[in-house]
Amino acid sequence: MVSARGIVNRFGSEVVHDKLSLDVMPGEVLGIAGGSGSGKSVLLKTLIGLRRPDAGEVSLAGQPLASIGPGEKAALIGVLFQQGALFSSLSVAQNIMLPVARATDLPSGEQERIAAMKLELAGLPADTGTKFPSELSGGMIKRAAFARALALDPRILFLDEPTSDLDPLAAAGIDELIGQMNRALGITIVLVTHDLTTLFSVCHRAAILVDGKLTVDTPQRLLKSPNPWIHDFLHGARGELARRQATGKGN
Amino acid sequence: MNDGGKRLTLEGVLDVHTLQHAKLLLTQQLKTSKTKVFDLGKLGALDSTGALLLCGLREQGVELTGARAEHQRLLDLVCGLKLATLPKPAQVPRWRQLVINLGKGADDVWRDAYAVIAFVALAANATGRVLLQWRRLPLPSISRHVAETGIDALPIVALMAVMISIVIGYQGVAQLRPYGGEEFTVNLVAVSMLREMGVLVTSIMVAGRSGSAFAAEIGVMRVREEIDAMSVMGMDPMEMLVVPRLLALVITLPLLTFFSDLMGLAGGAAIAAGILDITPLQYLSRVHSAVSVDDLTVGLVKAPVFAILIALVGCMHGLRVSSSAESVGRETTRAVVKAIFLVIVLDALFSILFERLGV
Repeated sequence: MVSARGIVNRFGSEVVHDKLSLDVMPGEVLGIAGGSGSGKSVLLKTLIGLRRPDAGEVSLAGQPLASIGPGEKAALIGVLFQQGALFSSLSVAQNIMLPVARATDLPSGEQERIAAMKLELAGLPADTGTKFPSELSGGMIKRAAFARALALDPRILFLDEPTSDLDPLAAAGIDELIGQMNRALGITIVLVTHDLTTLFSVCHRAAILVDGKLTVDTPQRLLKSPNPWIHDFLHGARGELARRQATGKGN
Repeated sequence: MNDGGKRLTLEGVLDVHTLQHAKLLLTQQLKTSKTKVFDLGKLGALDSTGALLLCGLREQGVELTGARAEHQRLLDLVCGLKLATLPKPAQVPRWRQLVINLGKGADDVWRDAYAVIAFVALAANATGRVLLQWRRLPLPSISRHVAETGIDALPIVALMAVMISIVIGYQGVAQLRPYGGEEFTVNLVAVSMLREMGVLVTSIMVAGRSGSAFAAEIGVMRVREEIDAMSVMGMDPMEMLVVPRLLALVITLPLLTFFSDLMGLAGGAAIAAGILDITPLQYLSRVHSAVSVDDLTVGLVKAPVFAILIALVGCMHGLRVSSSAESVGRETTRAVVKAIFLVIVLDALFSILFERLGV
C-alpha cells in the first residue's frame, strides 16, 4: 500500500535516512518508532509528500507519489498532525466539511450529516461540532483531527505521534480508536510514535529507526532482536511495563 | 559555626545563598587553625551547591564526618561526579566576524531576491487560476479581508489624512506668508494630498496594519502545521491564503486612498477656514481651479500597485516563519519594514515616471 525505496534524507552533512526501504501491507497498522531526533517525523513527511527526499522514491497504492495530483492525494490519504493542525478560524464541523466540500458537490445538509458521522466515529459528542479548536482539550483536538483525517474515507491514514501530550486514559482511547478504524474500515495505518504501549497494543508490525536504517518486524519478534539499541528501547523499564499493559488488555 | 580545636563543627545552612559567606569562613578556618576534620552533624540544611563546596574541601584533605543520612547521600552523589569544565565557545576575532557577516548578508540578499521572484510567480499563477475559474473565487474569505483591511481602517485613515493635511497646511502658511502667497496653501494641500500624501500615508498605515496582520496570521498557521495540513489535503496554500488577501487589498486600498483624499481636502478646508479666513465655498472653488483630474488619477493609480506589494510582502514573510514564536515576531517585523520601504521607493519611482509623462 505504501512503499518507499532507497530513501536518503540529509540535513547538511548529517545523514538522517540512509537508503531506507519500507513496505506497508494493505490493511495493516505499522508503527514507526525510534529515539528522539532519529528522524521519524522526517520520514513521515517524506512518505506524505511534504518533503522531497534527497534520493529514493515513495509510492502510495501503487502510484508514484510525485504523480498523484492534489485532489487524488486528498482522497487517498488522511493525516493526523502532532498538534492536530485544525484550522483555527473554522469550527470543528467546518474543519471536517472542508475537504468534503472541496472534493464533492454535495449540498451542505449532506455535508453536515457526514461531519456528524465522522465526529461520532471519532468518539466525540455532536455538540463538539460548533466549537472552535481553541476551545477544545488536548484529547478532543486529537479526536477532531482524526475525524477530519477520515473525512473522505482515505485508504491510508498517517498519524504523527497520536498519543503524545495525552493523559493515560485519553491515550488508551486513541489506541482503541486506531484499532477500531483499522478493523472496521480496513484502513491501512502508518503511525509514528515513541509510545511503547501503542506499539505493543495496536501495531501489527513495527519499524524501528536506528542509525538511519529501519528494522521492521512484529513487535513480538523485535523483542528478541540482537540490535543493542532496539533491545534497550523495548526491554527498558517502561518497555516491559508497556508490554505487560498491552498484552494484559488483549492484543 | 563552632570551633572545637582540631575539629570544626558546622551549624546552620550551607546552600547556594550562603555559599560565598561559607566559602570565605571555611577557607579562613583552614588556613588559620589547621583544622582537619569537619563535623557535619549539626548542619541544618545542605544543598548540592553546598555539597560541591564540601567535596572540594575534602579533596584538599579535609575529613567530613558525622553527616546526617540524607546529607551523606547528597555528598556521595555530588562527590562522585566527574565535573568536567564547560567548554568555552570558540572565540572568533571581531574583524573576521565582520567579514563573515558581510558574506552572509550578501548571500541572504541573493537568496531573498530569488525567493521573492519565485513567490511572486506562484502568487500570480494562483491569482490567475482563481480569477479564471469564477466559481472557485473564495468570496467569504475575500469579504472578511475586505472588512478587516478596509472597513475597519476607515476611522484611522480618516484621522491620519486630516492630521497630515493640517500639518502640510501649517507648513505651507508659514513658508508662503512672507511672500504674501498664503492663499496658495490651499493649492499646496489639495494637490499634494491627491497626488502623493493621500496614497502614501494610507499605504504606510495599511502596510503597518494589514501587512503585519497577514504575516502574523499566516506565520502562526505555519507554526501550528495548518499549512502542512492544507497541502496534504490537496489545498494550495497560495490559493487559499494569499490570493484572497491580495484581492481584498487591491479592492480596498484604492477606496481607502480616495477616502483619505477626501479627508485630506476636508482638513485643508479646516486650515483655510481657521487660519486663512477662507470660507468653505471659496475653498471649494479654489480647489476646483487648482486641481485637475490628473492629480486624482495619479494618486489612485499607485494604490493597486502598493496593494499588491503590501499583500505579497506580508504573505511571503508569513509563509517563511519557522516553528517558533520568535520567528513569527521577526518575520512580521520584516514584513512591515520591507513593505513600507518598498512603498516609498516605488512612490519615488512613480513620481519620476509621471514627471516624464508630463502628467
